Amino acid sequence: MSEPVTILGLESSCDDTAAAIVRHCDGAAPEILSSVVLGQTDLHEAFGGVVPEIAARAHTEKLDLCVEQALADANVTLDQLDAIAVTAGPGLIGGVLAGVMLAKGLAAGTGLPLIGVNHLAGHALTPRLTDGASFPYLMLLVSGGHSQFLIAHGIDDFTRLGGTIDDAPGEAFDKTAKLLALPQPGGPSVEAEAKSGDPTRFSLPRPLLDRPGCDMSFSGLKTALLRERDRLVEAHGGLRVQDRADLCAGFQAAVTDVLAEKSRRALSEYIASNPFDPVFAVAGGVSANMQIRAALETVSKEFGARFLAPPLALCTDNAAMIAWAGIERLRAGLTDDMTLAARPRWPLDQQSPAMLGSGKKGAKA
Amino acid sequence: MPSDPTILAFDTSAAHCAAALLSGGRIVAATAEEMGRGQAERLMPMIEEMLAGAGFAWRDLDAVAVGIGPGNFTGIRISVAAARGLALGLGVPAIGVSTLEAQAEGMARPCLSLADARRGMTYALVLGEDGPPVMTDAPDALRPEMPRAPMADPATLAPAMARIAAARLALGAPLPRPAPLYFRSADAAPPKDPAPVILP
Repeated sequence: MSEPVTILGLESSCDDTAAAIVRHCDGAAPEILSSVVLGQTDLHEAFGGVVPEIAARAHTEKLDLCVEQALADANVTLDQLDAIAVTAGPGLIGGVLAGVMLAKGLAAGTGLPLIGVNHLAGHALTPRLTDGASFPYLMLLVSGGHSQFLIAHGIDDFTRLGGTIDDAPGEAFDKTAKLLALPQPGGPSVEAEAKSGDPTRFSLPRPLLDRPGCDMSFSGLKTALLRERDRLVEAHGGLRVQDRADLCAGFQAAVTDVLAEKSRRALSEYIASNPFDPVFAVAGGVSANMQIRAALETVSKEFGARFLAPPLALCTDNAAMIAWAGIERLRAGLTDDMTLAARPRWPLDQQSPAMLGSGKKGAKA
Repeated sequence: MPSDPTILAFDTSAAHCAAALLSGGRIVAATAEEMGRGQAERLMPMIEEMLAGAGFAWRDLDAVAVGIGPGNFTGIRISVAAARGLALGLGVPAIGVSTLEAQAEGMARPCLSLADARRGMTYALVLGEDGPPVMTDAPDALRPEMPRAPMADPATLAPAMARIAAARLALGAPLPRPAPLYFRSADAAPPKDPAPVILP
């Protein structure tokens, strides 16, 4: 067994300011010594979505407080750390920049190595943090900003099988909540409302199900929901509670069907490569949805793959996953210098053609 | 805190990276590079080069001074975040200094310090009186009798910030963590499409 490695992770790529400390002895299970997440939901609520400038302002003034809290919670001092890991993209650039610069300052002040982590790699490596999953495993990353199927071959080696060509499902949940006067974030509020709804009453589209491959689309679903809503509002002078519940149930069923069927295709491609210990893992806030989670687990069983869904706090944005990815990178000898750049776009799979935003800023995912 | 603390000051609140080192009561190193973009990548290596050139290392610092604007929001955050991280890493105070104070450093008080706020507006601060800085569309009507500070020059900005931080440390005044001076709230509007009326 080698010396334990203790790393501080920082995350600020969207609307959660997070710091965490993870310790790992080779051969043992990693230990999350602390994980602090300061949300900003209240700051963005009035605007019906995350406002990048507001997020950047909050991260800049919360990150160091968050680090102090994580150190105190873990009862660890800076001189007991082995490195500083930070999300260097992809994400809202103002927040990513604040995190990267705070990490550079910390690394300079402590003399510790600096490690820039891809936020998506943080999610994609979480099954190794929580369950010791071995490569290659299949990953569905499904959140407010992302939706993609990846085969993880190594800490820096991912193949994307497919992903959304427009909105991410989490974004669709948020927009649905907004259209139906439900609170943000939309995931939990739409799920709660769907419980008392009839999923079969409204026939909402399942985009791209008729096409081969693992690509997905969710923006048409949102538009169809808007049309149904407007029709109901016109007919009744407002949206009746039961209509709203039925819309939520119909929407959730459509998202579930799409994710389940696309997972089936991704699994058959993954299983065809004969992995030693087949694992299908999910991450991202949308995987907290119980109906979606259950459907994915069922599909996973059809293929004999072990289904891994990390605890909710490690599915949504957090810094423990960044610290863990940092540990993996440090062990592989991958560190960064003070020129580390913050990147708004940074696809995990550098080989496959870009799916989104292939303009001058480069591929988003 | 030693009587003559070693203080690093840096600023990226406009199209530049600027840094200075105060030690033994005098500026022992200063540097400024004009750049429209890339400050986040250049700032720390530039400071490291400056410190090494003067025979100093990060751990020699007793305090960190940082420019808090007003200016480019992203640029200000680059330096403020780095300063807060550096202060935490070193266990030393970080001190925020505004461009308006820095460009009036060494002038007799009271005096008026102005900076371009764009969109026809000007930032203004009267030094030597207690009032807060303001944003105005009529700077000439504001205290015309007062001498005016020269507009900030990246080369002199960081040395001035280091000296102001030293003076504040010497006063023993409370040192709140540096925070950007924004003046304008975030450019965001509530959604145009109102939520539907919910009926029972």
